Amino acid sequence: MSTIWLIANGTFGEAMRRKILNVFLFVALAIIVMTFAFTSFMPRQELVLIKSMGLGVIGLAGVFISVILGINLIPNEIERRTIYTILSKPVQRSEFVLGKFLGGLMTVFSNIALMGLAFLLLIVYKEHAINLDVLKGILMIFFQLMIVGALALFFSVFLSPFVNFFLTFAIYLLGSLSSITESLAKDPDHHKNAFVTGFFYLVHVVIPNFANYNIQNPIIHPEIHVGKEGLYIVQLIVYAILYTTILLTLAVAIFERREV
Amino acid sequence: MANDGNAKAIEIQNLVKKYKSVVAVNDISLDVYEGEIFGFLGPNGAGKTTTIKTLLGLIFPSSGNVRVLGKPAGDIDIKLKVSYLPESPYFYEHMSAREVVGFYGSLFGLAGAAKTKRVDYLLDLVGLQKDSSKPLRAFSKGMLQRVGIAQALINDPKLLFFDEPTSGLDPVAHRDIRDLIVRLKNEGRTIFLSSHQLSDVELVCDRVSILNRGKIRRLGSVGELIAGGNVEIIAENVVADDDQLGKLKALTSNVSDVNHKLIITTSASNISKNNVLDWVRANKGDVISVTETRRSLEDIFYETVREGDSSAIVSA
Repeated sequence: MSTIWLIANGTFGEAMRRKILNVFLFVALAIIVMTFAFTSFMPRQELVLIKSMGLGVIGLAGVFISVILGINLIPNEIERRTIYTILSKPVQRSEFVLGKFLGGLMTVFSNIALMGLAFLLLIVYKEHAINLDVLKGILMIFFQLMIVGALALFFSVFLSPFVNFFLTFAIYLLGSLSSITESLAKDPDHHKNAFVTGFFYLVHVVIPNFANYNIQNPIIHPEIHVGKEGLYIVQLIVYAILYTTILLTLAVAIFERREV
Repeated sequence: MANDGNAKAIEIQNLVKKYKSVVAVNDISLDVYEGEIFGFLGPNGAGKTTTIKTLLGLIFPSSGNVRVLGKPAGDIDIKLKVSYLPESPYFYEHMSAREVVGFYGSLFGLAGAAKTKRVDYLLDLVGLQKDSSKPLRAFSKGMLQRVGIAQALINDPKLLFFDEPTSGLDPVAHRDIRDLIVRLKNEGRTIFLSSHQLSDVELVCDRVSILNRGKIRRLGSVGELIAGGNVEIIAENVVADDDQLGKLKALTSNVSDVNHKLIITTSASNISKNNVLDWVRANKGDVISVTETRRSLEDIFYETVREGDSSAIVSA
């Protein structure tokens, strides 16, 4: 069994027992189940509300789980000194970082899968059919969270969990408002100076466009079509993998020189 | 023991470790030879754990060189032959003792029946076989320490770094671990032992260094370090004039006359002792008793730490 996989498994086992993450999971599951309450609304709007709320709750709970998990994965090992017994064994620092990330990702996946399964069953109950669009929505949330988790882990190798929490959330919010930073960068009326537009351009390019991963709208409103949806989804997945790879490479490079 | 033809297991040359303006380790040099138990002593904050972490490649020297089993510290090949028991070890709490020791075994590539056999052997060795399936969150500090020792032995290491191995153990377990350390040495392993249990160190270590404020203040074999005690000689029927008594006082550190018996205190070296005995016989005296008062490692440790800022290395 590879070292990365061993560390990932240890991380996954530990993370799945963390009470704070379980709180987010159970609250989210409760809210999803509560969407039953919307049956009293007009039937035509009922499913739209359920889908919107369900995916929104999964996404939000997932972000909290990813950030809280990501900011603590490595600092916890240092604080509790488990890292001493692991890194004194024949374990490369890169294997340690990648194992921690993989374990975290497995935890996020399990949480999303649990919430997603509950949500899908609810939709099946309502629509009497499996809704593939909802499944795509959940998949996109997972890849969005992969980037969020990688960001949190990247910052965790050189920032305290407290600072990291706010920074990762700030970047998530900025990335979710990408259309705003894009329009600020374009400045069609030339009201701003080059430095300001340059700054917003940089923010728009460097920070991932998290809003792209929220494909709830086309699901909720089937009349809106994304051209070549399959290609769009593949592009988003490839982008998430590339962005995550870059972040992990940087995290490993910094952690190689980090004293523990 | 020491360097009688044995290769160097650890080489530290002019090691300096600074944290901003704080100098944790200040230009220390020492060698540890294969097959010896080396006691690494010092008060809290002396730089012991910093040195050990440098030797394990967990932190990096500010300057100087450290080599472990002939290779630079942190080398992945060396880690196969080295093990570390940190002070108050902590493990994944959701795992059982069996799972934790197995986990560390897997990091060394152990698998299947070989892993099960090794884990069973070690759990038995540290007396945890009965509790091996309980999650570690239910373990006491002493039990966690035993898990730590088991994980440190999983790879059948050549060189062991033990940081307070008997911390939190009850007297019986304490003795078991001390005996285990001696057994490991007898199997040919090298042990780098950091401990505040000075009686244990005195009993099991071949050589000792005492670190204080980042510098080595004493270095040598236990015998050398604790040498230099006193001997008390009691004699009676001595016939000596003032001139002869003057000669005796020159040989000794203290002479007193109690109930017509001379109580003479001198250093425990054979020369001093024999000079005094010769003087007693030359002056027609009878020797009633010769009692050596031995210094302990604790005395040496206390003196060394009290010496404070003295920067010279005293090599016995």
